[in-house]
Amino acid sequence: MAEHNSIWEALGFRKASGVGEAGWGRTLAVAIVSLIYFLPVLFIIFTAFKPQDAALSVPPTLSPTSFFGLIPDKFVFSPTLDNFGSVFMRSMTTGGAPEATGFDRYFFNSIVIASSSVLLALVIGTLAAFGFSRYPLKGNDTYLFIILTTRMLPAIVVIIPVILMFRVVGLSGSYTGIILLYTAFNLAFTIWMMKSFFDELSLDVEDAARIDGSSDVKVFFKIALPQVIAGLAATFVFGLILTWNEFLFALLLSGPDTRTVPVAMNQAVSSGGRGTDWTLLAAIETLFLIPVFLVTFFLQNHLLRGVTFGTVKR
Amino acid sequence: MSTIEIRKVTKQFGSFTAVKDADLKVEAGEVVCLLGPSGCGKTTTLRMIAGLERATSGDVIIAGQRMNELPPQKRDIAMVFQFYALYPALTVGQNIAMPLHSEGLSKADQDARVMKVASIMHLTDVLDRMPNQISEGEKQRLAVARAIVRDPNCFLFDEPLSRLDVELRHSMRGQIKEVLTGLSKATVIVTHDQLEALTMASRIAIMKDGVIEQVGTPHEVFAKPTNVFVASFIGTPQMNLVEADLRSFGDGKASVVLAGQSLAIAADPAVSRLKPSKVTVGIRPRAFTTVQDKAGDTIAAQAELIEPMGAETLIHARTSAGGDIRVVVPRDKRVKVGEALHLRPDPRQTHFFGEDGKAVRA
Amino acid sequence: MRLSADNWKLAIVAGLVVSVIAAIALPASASFWIIGAMAAVIAAAFVVNAYRRKYYGGLLVAPAIAVLFVMNIFPLLWSLGLSFYAYQSNQQSIRFVGLANYIKVLTNDIAAPANWAALVNTAMFVVLTVTAQMIVGFLLALLFAKQFPLRKYLLILVLTPMMLSVVASGVFFTYYYDPTFGILSYVVNSITGGQFILMSSKVGAVTGIVFADAWMWSPFVMLLVLAGLVSVPKYLYEAAAIDRVSKWRQFWTITFPYIRGLLMLALLFRTIEAFKLADLVILLTKGGNDTMTISYHLIRIANEQNKTSEGAAISYLMLFMVIVLTNLYLYIANRRSQGD
Repeated sequence: MAEHNSIWEALGFRKASGVGEAGWGRTLAVAIVSLIYFLPVLFIIFTAFKPQDAALSVPPTLSPTSFFGLIPDKFVFSPTLDNFGSVFMRSMTTGGAPEATGFDRYFFNSIVIASSSVLLALVIGTLAAFGFSRYPLKGNDTYLFIILTTRMLPAIVVIIPVILMFRVVGLSGSYTGIILLYTAFNLAFTIWMMKSFFDELSLDVEDAARIDGSSDVKVFFKIALPQVIAGLAATFVFGLILTWNEFLFALLLSGPDTRTVPVAMNQAVSSGGRGTDWTLLAAIETLFLIPVFLVTFFLQNHLLRGVTFGTVKR
Repeated sequence: MSTIEIRKVTKQFGSFTAVKDADLKVEAGEVVCLLGPSGCGKTTTLRMIAGLERATSGDVIIAGQRMNELPPQKRDIAMVFQFYALYPALTVGQNIAMPLHSEGLSKADQDARVMKVASIMHLTDVLDRMPNQISEGEKQRLAVARAIVRDPNCFLFDEPLSRLDVELRHSMRGQIKEVLTGLSKATVIVTHDQLEALTMASRIAIMKDGVIEQVGTPHEVFAKPTNVFVASFIGTPQMNLVEADLRSFGDGKASVVLAGQSLAIAADPAVSRLKPSKVTVGIRPRAFTTVQDKAGDTIAAQAELIEPMGAETLIHARTSAGGDIRVVVPRDKRVKVGEALHLRPDPRQTHFFGEDGKAVRA
Repeated sequence: MRLSADNWKLAIVAGLVVSVIAAIALPASASFWIIGAMAAVIAAAFVVNAYRRKYYGGLLVAPAIAVLFVMNIFPLLWSLGLSFYAYQSNQQSIRFVGLANYIKVLTNDIAAPANWAALVNTAMFVVLTVTAQMIVGFLLALLFAKQFPLRKYLLILVLTPMMLSVVASGVFFTYYYDPTFGILSYVVNSITGGQFILMSSKVGAVTGIVFADAWMWSPFVMLLVLAGLVSVPKYLYEAAAIDRVSKWRQFWTITFPYIRGLLMLALLFRTIEAFKLADLVILLTKGGNDTMTISYHLIRIANEQNKTSEGAAISYLMLFMVIVLTNLYLYIANRRSQGD
């Protein structure tokens, strides 16, 4: 039977030995902190399940169940799924019949626009990053810095010329326009991250492949690219998080057909004239959170490994 | 009183047993090598002595005190890691000084000790450089310097020379041995290189699959291996281990059928205790004399591959039964490929191993 | 002048000729497309030229540069040009005024004080929120640095605030801060018995905004620092344990050098983003209680008051400041890495 350093280990709280591991004690401490940090989000999610009248109550209702009487009733609300339904079907005018809100379209738009632009930026950006890394030009650092500066200006500065440009070319309100724009947004970050990854790889493998007769194209696809998959995943997740919630450009550049959820959310919530529709907003946001949440969760390991590789050794 | 002792130490990772019932005693001033192939548990054993792993059962005793509960900080040991573990953000001098901070010395004393150690390890020129700016050999010396700057209970080395090239290894072997002799502390060195073990250790503990197979002086493990594994592990070129049928024993000779040939080889008297059974006969490549004609105690084989090794030549021969025999002859003995050889084993260097793989010896 | 795909000189000449004819003869949108097509032909000629002569670097980088140029740089230059004109987007007339806009923005009696106030506020916000994010992010990273059971599930909880839509989180924070319905007021009420109106004072409003912003973005800092913490080789800590190095010293000599680069990176990114702070201000205070930031001010000026060229001037001043700061950061970062 193993013997223990202290009672903490005997109870399984601290993991014995191992300099880099911790036991359930750590889990408990971190769980408390994480849950507290998560509370504002949790409240939004709960609000999505609240019946309309319970939404704005004093005191604010906090829990869907009373946990066998642990939580006093005035803090409890009875959960309902109605709000999720009204995301997609509700009466737009007071006393009117419920009609389709078009949110299914908006969700679709958000998914299509965000994933296309992130993927497009990933493709173009990775190629460019490879170019910057393997075939450096004289002004490399300057070019990279200029690319970084494209992220520095607030949206409002470029919005007017972009609107005008789109109007002239006829891209206003189209998918292509906004996807191209978002691609440009993500390019700066993608190039920068992927270049760091490519910089880390050892050139020997590539040279060996060239000597063996591989064309440069093959070297890129079969040798360099597979080694940076973690970086691709990390860049994808970061880009997705940033693009998913973009509001200002979507507001000004998307049309009724190509509207994204953040814009529709804003509209649905503030146009009622009756004040903010909390439960509706919460329901929309909860649904909207799910895709990006899932993607981040499943790519978590790559994300962490990816950030390490790309940014530690400069 | 710097000694290390481990008693019936076992380490399990889940259902995997890395080390089983290891027993070892290291006296002050002794250098014991843990030798074995990768995965045999030698590094795990070392880490248990260091306190970086907790023994599942058994006792780890350093300087007479049971240390199972204590973390590495409290054991007062020094360790040289396989990857050197040099602090990348500190200079060479600062690296050496790090262990001294907890000893409460005055700055002057600290500096004096650092300088002393630096001159022993020939690092005085690079004291102000960073670890990534010095050569591999210097890195290795720095790792050792950091260990000897203190006055610990004992020294632990984890594959200290594995990352050096052949020439450096040769010189470092000598240097380390010299330094260790001067310090008279118990030392445990882990290595997979038998040459290192044979030259640096006062005793060698050979491990396989978590078990210590044999502990003995270099001479003992070479001349008197306790089982087939130790016999095959120690000695280059590898000992020939040939399966044979033991028929009978008489006149100090064992009658065997070996590689399809009947021979009578001189063997240790303990072999007489064996019943007729399958045995393994171990003969070192240098233990053969080649004779012109077949005799009752020679093995017939045909030379297949000749490898000149400088002062000696290694011959790979094949018996009629298809077995391989390695023979080492001095270089002036010329052998041609395809030549028939009759090999007489030296009875003093012939080992018999029973069916269980254990050596049969008086 | 031979006709071949890589003859870019010919392509330029032909392209210019066709463009000019189209601009004269055809209506605006049609000629725009023709000019675009000509630009594409010229670009194609360059591309083929590069491919045939193996300027691979150029080829690989070209699509990215093209997209960035059209979508980012071109509009930037356009705005820059605009800042030198007095032009109001609902009128037709344009006048070149040189640096007049910049001067007006900085010194004019009516316009300037609002601009300066917004600038000062922004500086304050940047310092406060970035500091908060760095501290909270760092502490969170320390928590998650070691492997422990359920780590994967707890980590995503802390990452979620980053994934919220600003609209949703901003609106809900107004709810949390609401004096009547909000949870903050309720808690204070049950202790002191009075309503708590966070947004009624500048200090309160700033705290509210900074809290919400830091809460949302500290996970970003946490990720970067965590990546650094996780990358420290374990055996360094083992050696330090054997060398009996104190935990404090272990942190400074082993851990910190690994995360320093990432900390500075987090600092850089969050500072750039913090300068653009506008949405939370719009949602929480509408600039009231002297919480106007320069970015929101810009939006007001450009959109609502239609002074687009002044807006452009202000934004370029802002850009200038951010560029100066970034260069400062790069200088410091480079000097440090050389010093090691």
